[in-house]
Amino acid sequence: MRGILIALTGFAYVVVLLPILIVVVTAFSASEFFAFPPKGLSLRWFEAFFASESMRGAFIRSLQIATISSMVATILGTMASMAIARRKGTLFNLVQGLFLAPLIFPAIVLGLSLLIFYKSIGGVPDFLGLVIAHCVLGLPFVVRSVTSSLLAVDPALEEAGQSLKASPIAVFIFIITPLIWPGMLAGGIFAFILSLGELNTALFLTGPGVTTLPIEIFSYLQFQGGQLVIAAASAIQVFMIIAIVLIAERLVGLKRIVRSG
Amino acid sequence: MGSGLSMNRQTAFWALLAPPLLFVGIFFVVPLLNLFWVSLHGASSSELFGSDLTGENYYRILTDSFYHTIILRTLWAGLSIMLLCLVLGYATAYVIAPLPPRTRLIMLLFLVAPLMVSNVIRAYGWIAILGRQGVVNSMLRSTGLIDGPLLLLNSFEAVAFGLMTILLPYMVVSIINALNAIDRQYIEAAQSLKANPFRTFIEVVWPLSSPGVASGTLLVFLLTLSAYVTITLLGGPRMKLLVSLVFDAVSGFRWPLAAALSFALLALALVVAGLILALLRPGRVQGRG
Repeated sequence: MRGILIALTGFAYVVVLLPILIVVVTAFSASEFFAFPPKGLSLRWFEAFFASESMRGAFIRSLQIATISSMVATILGTMASMAIARRKGTLFNLVQGLFLAPLIFPAIVLGLSLLIFYKSIGGVPDFLGLVIAHCVLGLPFVVRSVTSSLLAVDPALEEAGQSLKASPIAVFIFIITPLIWPGMLAGGIFAFILSLGELNTALFLTGPGVTTLPIEIFSYLQFQGGQLVIAAASAIQVFMIIAIVLIAERLVGLKRIVRSG
Repeated sequence: MGSGLSMNRQTAFWALLAPPLLFVGIFFVVPLLNLFWVSLHGASSSELFGSDLTGENYYRILTDSFYHTIILRTLWAGLSIMLLCLVLGYATAYVIAPLPPRTRLIMLLFLVAPLMVSNVIRAYGWIAILGRQGVVNSMLRSTGLIDGPLLLLNSFEAVAFGLMTILLPYMVVSIINALNAIDRQYIEAAQSLKANPFRTFIEVVWPLSSPGVASGTLLVFLLTLSAYVTITLLGGPRMKLLVSLVFDAVSGFRWPLAAALSFALLALALVVAGLILALLRPGRVQGRG
Protein backbone atom coordinates (compact mmCIF):
# COMPACT_ATOMS: atom_id res chain seq x y z
CA MET A 1 0.00 0.00 0.00
CA ARG A 2 2.75 2.39 1.07
CA GLY A 3 4.59 1.54 -2.17
CA ILE A 4 1.57 2.41 -4.31
CA LEU A 5 1.14 5.74 -2.53
CA ILE A 6 4.78 6.67 -3.06
CA ALA A 7 4.60 5.62 -6.72
CA LEU A 8 1.51 7.83 -7.22
CA THR A 9 3.28 10.73 -5.49
CA GLY A 10 6.29 10.31 -7.75
CA PHE A 11 4.02 10.23 -10.79
CA ALA A 12 2.29 13.42 -9.59
CA TYR A 13 5.61 15.28 -9.32
CA VAL A 14 6.72 14.04 -12.74
CA VAL A 15 3.55 15.14 -14.57
CA VAL A 16 3.55 18.54 -12.83
CA LEU A 17 7.23 19.35 -13.33
CA LEU A 18 8.26 17.54 -16.52
CA PRO A 19 6.45 19.76 -19.07
CA ILE A 20 8.04 22.89 -17.62
CA LEU A 21 11.47 21.29 -17.52
CA ILE A 22 11.24 20.15 -21.15
CA VAL A 23 10.27 23.64 -22.33
CA VAL A 24 13.14 25.25 -20.44
CA VAL A 25 15.71 22.78 -21.80
CA THR A 26 14.36 23.10 -25.36
CA ALA A 27 14.82 26.87 -25.21
CA PHE A 28 18.60 26.35 -25.24
CA SER A 29 18.67 24.14 -28.33
CA ALA A 30 20.82 25.02 -31.29
CA SER A 31 18.69 23.34 -33.94
CA GLU A 32 16.02 24.87 -36.13
CA PHE A 33 13.23 22.54 -34.99
CA PHE A 34 12.16 20.82 -31.84
CA ALA A 35 14.19 17.79 -30.83
CA PHE A 36 14.64 16.27 -27.43
CA PRO A 37 17.23 16.02 -26.09
CA PRO A 38 18.35 19.08 -28.11
CA LYS A 39 21.14 18.57 -30.62
CA GLY A 40 23.62 21.16 -29.40
CA LEU A 41 23.12 24.09 -27.08
CA SER A 42 22.89 27.78 -27.93
CA LEU A 43 21.28 31.04 -26.94
CA ARG A 44 20.02 31.74 -30.48
CA TRP A 45 16.34 31.49 -29.52
CA PHE A 46 16.78 33.98 -26.71
CA GLU A 47 18.41 36.31 -29.24
CA ALA A 48 15.52 35.68 -31.61
CA PHE A 49 13.10 36.48 -28.79
CA PHE A 50 14.61 39.88 -28.06
CA ALA A 51 15.05 40.60 -31.76
CA SER A 52 11.34 40.05 -32.43
CA GLU A 53 9.55 43.32 -31.95
CA SER A 54 6.17 41.71 -31.22
CA MET A 55 7.65 39.35 -28.59
CA ARG A 56 9.71 42.05 -26.93
CA GLY A 57 6.76 44.43 -26.96
CA ALA A 58 4.45 41.84 -25.43
CA PHE A 59 7.05 41.03 -22.79
CA ILE A 60 7.52 44.65 -21.75
CA ARG A 61 3.76 45.26 -21.81
CA SER A 62 3.18 42.20 -19.59
CA LEU A 63 5.70 43.55 -17.09
CA GLN A 64 4.07 46.98 -17.10
CA ILE A 65 0.57 45.59 -16.66
CA ALA A 66 1.70 43.24 -13.88
CA THR A 67 3.52 46.05 -12.05
CA ILE A 68 0.68 48.56 -12.18
CA SER A 69 -2.14 46.12 -11.52
CA SER A 70 -0.38 44.43 -8.59
CA MET A 71 0.43 47.79 -7.00
CA VAL A 72 -3.15 49.02 -7.30
CA ALA A 73 -4.44 45.65 -6.05
CA THR A 74 -2.11 45.82 -3.05
CA ILE A 75 -3.32 49.31 -2.11
CA LEU A 76 -7.03 48.57 -2.60
CA GLY A 77 -6.77 45.11 -1.03
CA THR A 78 -4.98 46.45 2.06
CA MET A 79 -7.64 49.15 2.48
CA ALA A 80 -10.42 46.58 2.19
CA SER A 81 -8.75 44.23 4.66
CA MET A 82 -8.18 47.02 7.19
CA ALA A 83 -11.85 47.97 7.02
CA ILE A 84 -13.33 44.50 7.43
CA ALA A 85 -10.72 42.17 8.95
CA ARG A 86 -12.07 42.14 12.50
CA ARG A 87 -15.73 42.81 11.72
CA LYS A 88 -18.37 40.15 12.13
CA GLY A 89 -21.90 39.77 10.83
CA THR A 90 -23.67 38.73 7.66
CA LEU A 91 -23.09 42.01 5.87
CA PHE A 92 -19.34 41.95 6.44
CA ASN A 93 -19.17 38.31 5.42
CA LEU A 94 -20.92 39.26 2.19
CA VAL A 95 -18.54 42.15 1.53
CA GLN A 96 -15.55 39.91 2.19
CA GLY A 97 -17.08 37.24 -0.05
CA LEU A 98 -17.37 39.84 -2.79
CA PHE A 99 -13.68 40.74 -2.50
CA LEU A 100 -12.67 37.07 -2.55
CA ALA A 101 -15.12 35.99 -5.27
CA PRO A 102 -12.74 36.40 -8.25
CA LEU A 103 -10.62 33.59 -6.73
CA ILE A 104 -13.17 30.99 -7.79
CA PHE A 105 -15.29 32.91 -10.29
CA PRO A 106 -14.80 31.57 -13.85
CA ALA A 107 -12.34 34.11 -15.21
CA ILE A 108 -13.52 33.66 -18.76
CA VAL A 109 -16.91 35.10 -17.77
CA LEU A 110 -15.19 38.01 -16.03
CA GLY A 111 -13.19 38.67 -19.22
CA LEU A 112 -16.26 38.65 -21.45
CA SER A 113 -18.29 40.78 -19.04
CA LEU A 114 -15.52 43.39 -18.91
CA LEU A 115 -15.13 43.37 -22.70
CA ILE A 116 -18.86 44.02 -23.21
CA PHE A 117 -18.87 46.56 -20.35
CA TYR A 118 -15.97 48.50 -21.93
CA LYS A 119 -17.79 48.48 -25.26
CA SER A 120 -21.04 49.61 -23.59
CA ILE A 121 -19.40 52.67 -22.04
CA GLY A 122 -17.85 53.68 -25.35
CA GLY A 123 -14.50 51.91 -25.24
CA VAL A 124 -11.52 51.77 -22.88
CA PRO A 125 -7.88 51.67 -24.07
CA ASP A 126 -6.70 48.03 -24.23
CA PHE A 127 -3.81 48.62 -21.83
CA LEU A 128 -6.04 50.19 -19.17
CA GLY A 129 -8.68 47.51 -19.68
CA LEU A 130 -6.13 44.78 -19.00
CA VAL A 131 -4.78 46.55 -15.92
CA ILE A 132 -8.29 46.79 -14.48
CA ALA A 133 -9.05 43.11 -15.18
CA HIS A 134 -5.80 41.93 -13.59
CA CYS A 135 -6.43 44.19 -10.65
CA VAL A 136 -9.85 42.56 -10.05
CA LEU A 137 -8.16 39.14 -10.25
CA GLY A 138 -5.21 40.07 -8.00
CA LEU A 139 -7.29 41.80 -5.30
CA PRO A 140 -8.47 38.60 -3.53
CA PHE A 141 -4.90 37.36 -3.07
CA VAL A 142 -4.01 40.61 -1.32
CA VAL A 143 -7.19 40.61 0.78
CA ARG A 144 -6.61 37.02 1.86
CA SER A 145 -3.01 37.47 2.83
CA VAL A 146 -3.34 40.92 4.45
CA THR A 147 -6.43 39.83 6.40
CA SER A 148 -4.57 36.90 7.90
CA SER A 149 -1.68 39.21 8.83
CA LEU A 150 -4.09 41.71 10.40
CA LEU A 151 -5.81 39.02 12.46
CA ALA A 152 -2.42 38.17 13.93
CA VAL A 153 -1.88 41.78 15.13
CA ASP A 154 -2.64 42.24 18.83
CA PRO A 155 -5.51 44.79 19.03
CA ALA A 156 -3.95 46.09 22.26
CA LEU A 157 -1.16 47.66 20.18
CA GLU A 158 -3.65 49.65 18.15
CA GLU A 159 -5.51 50.73 21.28
CA ALA A 160 -2.26 51.75 22.91
CA GLY A 161 -1.56 54.00 19.94
CA GLN A 162 -5.02 55.51 20.13
CA SER A 163 -4.85 56.09 23.86
CA LEU A 164 -1.64 58.01 23.24
CA LYS A 165 -3.71 60.23 20.92
CA ALA A 166 -2.11 59.03 17.72
CA SER A 167 -4.28 59.76 14.67
CA PRO A 168 -5.64 56.76 12.72
CA ILE A 169 -3.14 57.55 9.98
CA ALA A 170 -0.25 57.59 12.44
CA VAL A 171 -1.48 54.33 13.96
CA PHE A 172 -1.57 52.80 10.50
CA ILE A 173 1.86 53.99 9.42
CA PHE A 174 3.80 53.44 12.64
CA ILE A 175 2.01 50.49 14.23
CA ILE A 176 0.03 48.44 11.70
CA THR A 177 2.18 48.66 8.57
CA PRO A 178 5.38 47.30 10.11
CA LEU A 179 3.39 44.31 11.35
CA ILE A 180 1.46 43.49 8.17
CA TRP A 181 3.91 44.36 5.41
CA PRO A 182 4.94 40.72 4.83
CA GLY A 183 1.26 39.97 4.14
CA MET A 184 0.99 42.96 1.79
CA LEU A 185 4.16 41.96 0.00
CA ALA A 186 3.14 38.31 -0.35
CA GLY A 187 -0.28 39.30 -1.73
CA GLY A 188 1.26 41.86 -4.07
CA ILE A 189 3.88 39.42 -5.37
CA PHE A 190 1.20 36.86 -6.04
CA ALA A 191 -0.97 39.40 -7.87
CA PHE A 192 2.10 40.30 -9.96
CA ILE A 193 2.83 36.67 -10.87
CA LEU A 194 -0.83 36.00 -11.63
CA SER A 195 -0.96 38.95 -14.01
CA LEU A 196 2.22 37.83 -15.80
CA GLY A 197 0.71 34.47 -16.76
CA GLU A 198 -2.97 35.35 -16.99
CA LEU A 199 -4.88 34.09 -20.05
CA ASN A 200 -8.62 34.01 -19.54
CA THR A 201 -9.40 37.70 -19.36
CA ALA A 202 -6.45 38.67 -21.58
CA LEU A 203 -7.92 36.49 -24.35
CA PHE A 204 -10.80 38.93 -24.66
CA LEU A 205 -9.11 42.17 -23.70
CA THR A 206 -5.95 42.14 -25.80
CA GLY A 207 -6.30 43.88 -29.14
CA PRO A 208 -4.31 44.27 -32.32
CA GLY A 209 -0.85 45.51 -31.35
CA VAL A 210 -1.62 45.33 -27.63
CA THR A 211 -0.99 41.74 -26.50
CA THR A 212 0.57 40.20 -23.42
CA LEU A 213 3.32 37.60 -23.51
CA PRO A 214 1.10 34.58 -22.70
CA ILE A 215 -1.36 35.56 -25.43
CA GLU A 216 1.52 36.09 -27.86
CA ILE A 217 2.78 32.58 -27.03
CA PHE A 218 -0.74 31.19 -27.47
CA SER A 219 -1.23 32.69 -30.92
CA TYR A 220 2.24 31.51 -32.00
CA LEU A 221 1.35 27.98 -30.89
CA GLN A 222 -1.99 28.13 -32.67
CA PHE A 223 -0.87 29.58 -35.97
CA GLN A 224 2.87 29.22 -36.40
CA GLY A 225 3.72 26.09 -34.36
CA GLY A 226 7.21 24.63 -34.28
CA GLN A 227 9.02 27.91 -33.68
CA LEU A 228 11.42 27.49 -30.82
CA VAL A 229 11.33 31.20 -30.04
CA ILE A 230 8.27 30.47 -27.89
CA ALA A 231 10.35 28.02 -25.86
CA ALA A 232 12.71 30.90 -25.13
CA ALA A 233 9.76 33.17 -24.27
CA SER A 234 8.45 30.49 -21.90
CA ALA A 235 11.86 29.91 -20.35
CA ILE A 236 12.22 33.62 -19.65
CA GLN A 237 8.90 33.56 -17.79
CA VAL A 238 9.96 30.50 -15.79
CA PHE A 239 13.30 32.12 -14.84
CA MET A 240 11.50 35.27 -13.74
CA ILE A 241 9.20 33.24 -11.50
CA ILE A 242 12.14 31.35 -9.99
CA ALA A 243 13.85 34.69 -9.30
CA ILE A 244 10.71 36.14 -7.74
CA VAL A 245 10.22 33.05 -5.54
CA LEU A 246 13.85 33.25 -4.36
CA ILE A 247 13.53 36.96 -3.56
CA ALA A 248 10.18 36.40 -1.85
CA GLU A 249 11.69 33.61 0.22
CA ARG A 250 14.24 36.13 1.55
CA LEU A 251 11.65 38.83 2.19
CA VAL A 252 8.61 37.02 3.53
CA GLY A 253 9.62 33.38 4.01
CA LEU A 254 8.77 30.15 2.24
CA LYS A 255 5.63 29.54 4.25
CA ARG A 256 3.83 32.59 2.91
CA ILE A 257 4.70 31.77 -0.71
CA VAL A 258 3.35 28.25 -0.41
CA ARG A 259 0.22 29.45 1.36
CA SER A 260 -0.64 32.18 -1.12
CA GLY A 261 -0.71 29.64 -3.94
CA MET B 1 -14.73 62.83 23.48
CA GLY B 2 -16.04 59.26 23.21
CA SER B 3 -18.45 60.06 20.37
CA GLY B 4 -15.77 62.16 18.69
CA LEU B 5 -13.47 59.18 18.63
CA SER B 6 -16.16 56.85 17.23
CA MET B 7 -17.05 59.44 14.57
CA ASN B 8 -13.41 59.47 13.65
CA ARG B 9 -13.33 55.69 13.43
CA GLN B 10 -16.50 55.63 11.38
CA THR B 11 -15.00 58.06 8.86
CA ALA B 12 -11.80 56.04 8.72
CA PHE B 13 -13.81 52.87 8.14
CA TRP B 14 -15.67 54.32 5.15
CA ALA B 15 -12.60 56.04 3.77
CA LEU B 16 -10.90 52.65 3.75
CA LEU B 17 -13.79 50.57 2.46
CA ALA B 18 -15.27 52.89 -0.18
CA PRO B 19 -12.49 52.83 -2.81
CA PRO B 20 -12.05 49.03 -3.01
CA LEU B 21 -15.80 48.47 -2.76
CA LEU B 22 -16.46 50.94 -5.58
CA PHE B 23 -13.73 49.35 -7.67
CA VAL B 24 -15.15 45.85 -7.30
CA GLY B 25 -18.68 47.18 -7.79
CA ILE B 26 -17.86 48.99 -11.02
CA PHE B 27 -15.52 46.44 -12.56
CA PHE B 28 -16.97 43.15 -11.33
CA VAL B 29 -20.62 43.47 -10.26
CA VAL B 30 -21.85 46.01 -12.82
CA PRO B 31 -20.23 44.26 -15.82
CA LEU B 32 -21.86 40.99 -14.72
CA LEU B 33 -25.30 42.56 -14.43
CA ASN B 34 -24.70 44.19 -17.80
CA LEU B 35 -23.72 40.81 -19.25
CA PHE B 36 -26.98 39.32 -18.00
CA TRP B 37 -28.91 42.21 -19.54
CA VAL B 38 -27.17 41.64 -22.88
CA SER B 39 -27.99 37.90 -22.73
CA LEU B 40 -31.69 38.77 -22.68
CA HIS B 41 -31.59 40.34 -26.15
CA GLY B 42 -31.43 39.16 -29.73
CA ALA B 43 -28.46 39.72 -32.01
CA SER B 44 -28.01 42.95 -33.93
CA SER B 45 -25.82 43.58 -36.95
CA SER B 46 -24.95 47.16 -36.05
CA GLU B 47 -25.18 47.33 -32.25
CA LEU B 48 -23.90 45.11 -29.42
CA PHE B 49 -27.40 43.65 -29.09
CA GLY B 50 -30.90 43.96 -30.53
CA SER B 51 -33.57 46.17 -29.02
CA ASP B 52 -36.19 43.60 -27.94
CA LEU B 53 -36.12 41.69 -24.69
CA THR B 54 -36.20 37.96 -25.39
CA GLY B 55 -35.32 34.63 -23.82
CA GLU B 56 -34.42 33.07 -27.17
CA ASN B 57 -30.70 32.61 -26.37
CA TYR B 58 -31.49 30.60 -23.25
CA TYR B 59 -34.29 28.75 -25.04
CA ARG B 60 -31.82 27.71 -27.73
CA ILE B 61 -29.24 26.48 -25.23
CA LEU B 62 -31.91 24.50 -23.37
CA THR B 63 -33.50 22.90 -26.44
CA ASP B 64 -30.76 22.52 -29.06
CA SER B 65 -29.19 19.05 -28.87
CA PHE B 66 -25.84 20.46 -30.05
CA TYR B 67 -25.58 22.43 -26.81
CA HIS B 68 -26.66 19.39 -24.80
CA THR B 69 -23.82 17.35 -26.27
CA ILE B 70 -21.30 20.04 -25.41
CA ILE B 71 -22.65 20.58 -21.90
CA LEU B 72 -22.57 16.84 -21.19
CA ARG B 73 -19.05 16.62 -22.55
CA THR B 74 -18.04 19.56 -20.35
CA LEU B 75 -19.52 17.86 -17.30
CA TRP B 76 -17.83 14.60 -18.20
CA ALA B 77 -14.48 16.34 -18.68
CA GLY B 78 -14.85 18.17 -15.36
CA LEU B 79 -15.78 14.97 -13.56
CA SER B 80 -12.89 12.93 -15.02
CA ILE B 81 -10.37 15.64 -14.20
CA MET B 82 -11.79 15.98 -10.69
CA LEU B 83 -11.51 12.23 -10.03
CA LEU B 84 -8.01 11.93 -11.52
CA CYS B 85 -6.87 14.90 -9.43
CA LEU B 86 -8.54 13.46 -6.33
CA VAL B 87 -6.80 10.07 -6.55
CA LEU B 88 -3.35 11.46 -7.37
CA GLY B 89 -3.75 14.51 -5.15
CA TYR B 90 -4.93 12.57 -2.11
CA ALA B 91 -2.11 10.05 -2.41
CA THR B 92 0.44 12.87 -2.72
CA ALA B 93 -1.01 14.85 0.18
CA TYR B 94 -1.14 11.69 2.31
CA VAL B 95 2.55 11.03 1.68
CA ILE B 96 3.69 14.64 2.19
CA ALA B 97 1.52 15.62 5.18
CA PRO B 98 3.38 13.66 7.91
CA LEU B 99 6.85 14.85 6.77
CA PRO B 100 8.83 17.24 9.01
CA PRO B 101 7.64 20.86 8.47
CA ARG B 102 10.72 22.08 6.56
CA THR B 103 10.75 19.08 4.17
CA ARG B 104 7.00 19.36 3.70
CA LEU B 105 7.32 23.04 2.81
CA ILE B 106 9.97 22.35 0.18
CA MET B 107 7.97 19.46 -1.29
CA LEU B 108 4.95 21.78 -1.48
CA LEU B 109 7.00 24.53 -3.10
CA PHE B 110 7.78 22.21 -6.02
CA LEU B 111 4.03 21.84 -6.55
CA VAL B 112 2.98 25.44 -5.90
CA ALA B 113 5.70 27.10 -7.99
CA PRO B 114 4.42 25.45 -11.21
CA LEU B 115 1.03 27.08 -10.51
CA MET B 116 2.75 30.42 -11.05
CA VAL B 117 3.89 29.42 -14.54
CA SER B 118 1.37 30.39 -17.20
CA ASN B 119 -0.96 27.57 -18.26
CA VAL B 120 -0.05 28.26 -21.89
CA ILE B 121 3.55 27.28 -21.11
CA ARG B 122 2.51 24.15 -19.24
CA ALA B 123 0.26 23.12 -22.14
CA TYR B 124 3.12 23.84 -24.55
CA GLY B 125 5.23 21.44 -22.49
CA TRP B 126 2.71 18.68 -23.14
CA ILE B 127 2.70 19.50 -26.86
CA ALA B 128 6.49 19.14 -26.80
CA ILE B 129 6.13 15.76 -25.09
CA LEU B 130 3.10 14.29 -26.84
CA GLY B 131 3.06 16.06 -30.22
CA ARG B 132 3.91 14.52 -33.61
CA GLN B 133 7.58 15.48 -33.29
CA GLY B 134 7.40 15.24 -29.51
CA VAL B 135 9.58 13.41 -27.04
CA VAL B 136 7.42 10.28 -26.85
CA ASN B 137 7.08 9.85 -30.60
CA SER B 138 10.75 10.45 -31.35
CA MET B 139 11.79 8.03 -28.62
CA LEU B 140 9.45 5.33 -29.89
CA ARG B 141 10.58 5.90 -33.46
CA SER B 142 14.28 5.74 -32.64
CA THR B 143 13.75 2.40 -30.93
CA GLY B 144 11.89 1.21 -34.02
CA LEU B 145 8.69 0.40 -32.15
CA ILE B 146 6.54 2.50 -34.50
CA ASP B 147 6.79 3.67 -38.11
CA GLY B 148 4.51 6.70 -38.18
CA PRO B 149 3.90 9.10 -35.29
CA LEU B 150 1.20 8.22 -32.75
CA LEU B 151 -1.53 10.80 -32.48
CA LEU B 152 -1.54 11.54 -28.77
CA LEU B 153 -2.97 15.04 -28.86
CA ASN B 154 -6.22 16.53 -30.15
CA SER B 155 -8.45 14.27 -28.11
CA PHE B 156 -10.68 14.34 -25.05
CA GLU B 157 -8.12 12.21 -23.20
CA ALA B 158 -5.31 14.63 -23.98
CA VAL B 159 -7.35 17.52 -22.59
CA ALA B 160 -8.38 15.59 -19.46
CA PHE B 161 -4.84 14.40 -18.78
CA GLY B 162 -3.21 17.76 -19.51
CA LEU B 163 -5.66 19.76 -17.40
CA MET B 164 -5.33 17.20 -14.61
CA THR B 165 -1.58 17.84 -14.46
CA ILE B 166 -2.11 21.60 -14.54
CA LEU B 167 -4.70 21.64 -11.74
CA LEU B 168 -3.33 18.84 -9.55
CA PRO B 169 -1.33 21.15 -7.22
CA TYR B 170 -4.54 22.89 -6.10
CA MET B 171 -5.93 19.55 -4.97
CA VAL B 172 -2.76 18.57 -3.11
CA VAL B 173 -2.58 21.91 -1.27
CA SER B 174 -6.27 21.79 -0.26
CA ILE B 175 -6.07 18.22 1.05
CA ILE B 176 -2.77 18.75 2.86
CA ASN B 177 -4.25 21.67 4.78
CA ALA B 178 -7.18 19.48 5.86
CA LEU B 179 -4.95 16.53 6.77
CA ASN B 180 -2.69 18.69 8.89
CA ALA B 181 -5.69 20.10 10.73
CA ILE B 182 -6.72 16.62 11.93
CA ASP B 183 -6.04 16.03 15.60
CA ARG B 184 -3.66 13.05 15.89
CA GLN B 185 -5.64 11.88 18.93
CA TYR B 186 -8.59 10.82 16.75
CA ILE B 187 -6.36 8.51 14.73
CA GLU B 188 -4.71 7.13 17.86
CA ALA B 189 -8.14 6.57 19.39
CA ALA B 190 -9.23 4.57 16.34
CA GLN B 191 -6.03 2.53 16.49
CA SER B 192 -6.40 1.82 20.19
CA LEU B 193 -9.90 0.49 19.39
CA LYS B 194 -8.14 -1.96 17.08
CA ALA B 195 -9.35 -0.43 13.83
CA ASN B 196 -7.05 -1.51 11.00
CA PRO B 197 -5.38 1.24 8.91
CA PHE B 198 -8.03 0.89 6.19
CA ARG B 199 -10.93 1.32 8.60
CA THR B 200 -9.13 4.17 10.35
CA PHE B 201 -8.82 5.87 6.99
CA ILE B 202 -12.44 5.30 5.91
CA GLU B 203 -14.06 6.21 9.20
CA VAL B 204 -11.73 8.84 10.63
CA VAL B 205 -9.25 10.38 8.20
CA TRP B 206 -11.45 10.61 5.08
CA PRO B 207 -14.46 12.26 6.79
CA LEU B 208 -12.21 14.69 8.66
CA SER B 209 -10.40 15.63 5.46
CA SER B 210 -13.66 16.29 3.59
CA PRO B 211 -13.32 20.11 3.76
CA GLY B 212 -10.04 19.82 1.87
CA VAL B 213 -11.49 17.36 -0.63
CA ALA B 214 -14.49 19.63 -1.16
CA SER B 215 -12.46 22.79 -1.73
CA GLY B 216 -9.97 20.92 -3.93
CA THR B 217 -12.57 19.30 -6.18
CA LEU B 218 -14.53 22.55 -6.36
CA LEU B 219 -11.49 24.55 -7.39
CA VAL B 220 -10.45 21.97 -9.98
CA PHE B 221 -13.91 21.85 -11.53
CA LEU B 222 -14.30 25.64 -11.64
CA LEU B 223 -10.88 26.10 -13.22
CA THR B 224 -11.65 23.39 -15.78
CA LEU B 225 -14.67 25.39 -16.92
CA SER B 226 -12.52 28.42 -17.83
CA ALA B 227 -9.50 26.65 -19.32
CA TYR B 228 -10.02 27.73 -22.92
CA VAL B 229 -6.35 27.92 -23.89
CA THR B 230 -5.42 24.47 -22.56
CA ILE B 231 -8.52 22.91 -24.12
CA THR B 232 -7.76 24.49 -27.50
CA LEU B 233 -4.06 23.61 -27.51
CA LEU B 234 -4.39 20.00 -26.34
CA GLY B 235 -7.83 19.21 -27.76
CA GLY B 236 -7.45 20.75 -31.18
CA PRO B 237 -10.13 22.60 -33.12
CA ARG B 238 -12.80 19.90 -32.87
CA MET B 239 -12.64 19.13 -29.13
CA LYS B 240 -15.03 21.82 -27.93
CA LEU B 241 -16.25 22.38 -24.40
CA LEU B 242 -18.72 25.01 -23.21
CA VAL B 243 -16.01 27.65 -22.84
CA SER B 244 -15.00 27.15 -26.50
CA LEU B 245 -18.56 28.00 -27.55
CA VAL B 246 -18.43 31.23 -25.56
CA PHE B 247 -15.26 32.12 -27.40
CA ASP B 248 -16.65 31.10 -30.80
CA ALA B 249 -19.72 33.27 -30.25
CA VAL B 250 -17.46 36.22 -29.42
CA SER B 251 -15.37 35.62 -32.55
CA GLY B 252 -18.62 35.77 -34.54
CA PHE B 253 -19.65 39.01 -32.75
CA ARG B 254 -22.78 37.27 -31.43
CA TRP B 255 -22.58 39.06 -28.09
CA PRO B 256 -26.01 38.11 -26.66
CA LEU B 257 -25.42 34.41 -27.37
CA ALA B 258 -21.92 34.61 -25.85
CA ALA B 259 -23.45 36.28 -22.78
CA ALA B 260 -26.14 33.60 -22.42
CA LEU B 261 -23.55 30.84 -22.81
CA SER B 262 -21.52 32.48 -20.03
CA PHE B 263 -24.50 32.25 -17.73
CA ALA B 264 -25.03 28.62 -18.74
CA LEU B 265 -21.41 28.09 -17.67
CA LEU B 266 -22.05 29.87 -14.36
CA ALA B 267 -25.19 27.79 -13.80
CA LEU B 268 -23.19 24.62 -14.39
CA ALA B 269 -20.59 25.85 -11.88
CA LEU B 270 -23.28 26.51 -9.27
CA VAL B 271 -25.04 23.16 -9.73
CA VAL B 272 -21.81 21.17 -9.50
CA ALA B 273 -20.61 23.21 -6.52
CA GLY B 274 -23.92 22.49 -4.78
CA LEU B 275 -23.62 18.77 -5.53
CA ILE B 276 -20.04 18.60 -4.23
CA LEU B 277 -21.01 20.35 -1.00
CA ALA B 278 -24.11 18.14 -0.55
CA LEU B 279 -22.11 14.98 -1.21
CA LEU B 280 -19.08 15.71 0.95
CA ARG B 281 -20.78 17.85 3.62
CA PRO B 282 -17.55 19.61 4.65
CA GLY B 283 -19.57 21.67 7.16
CA ARG B 284 -19.94 18.70 9.51
CA VAL B 285 -16.21 18.84 10.28
CA GLN B 286 -16.35 22.45 11.41
CA GLY B 287 -19.46 21.53 13.42
CA ARG B 288 -21.79 23.38 11.09
CA GLY B 289 -23.93 20.71 9.49
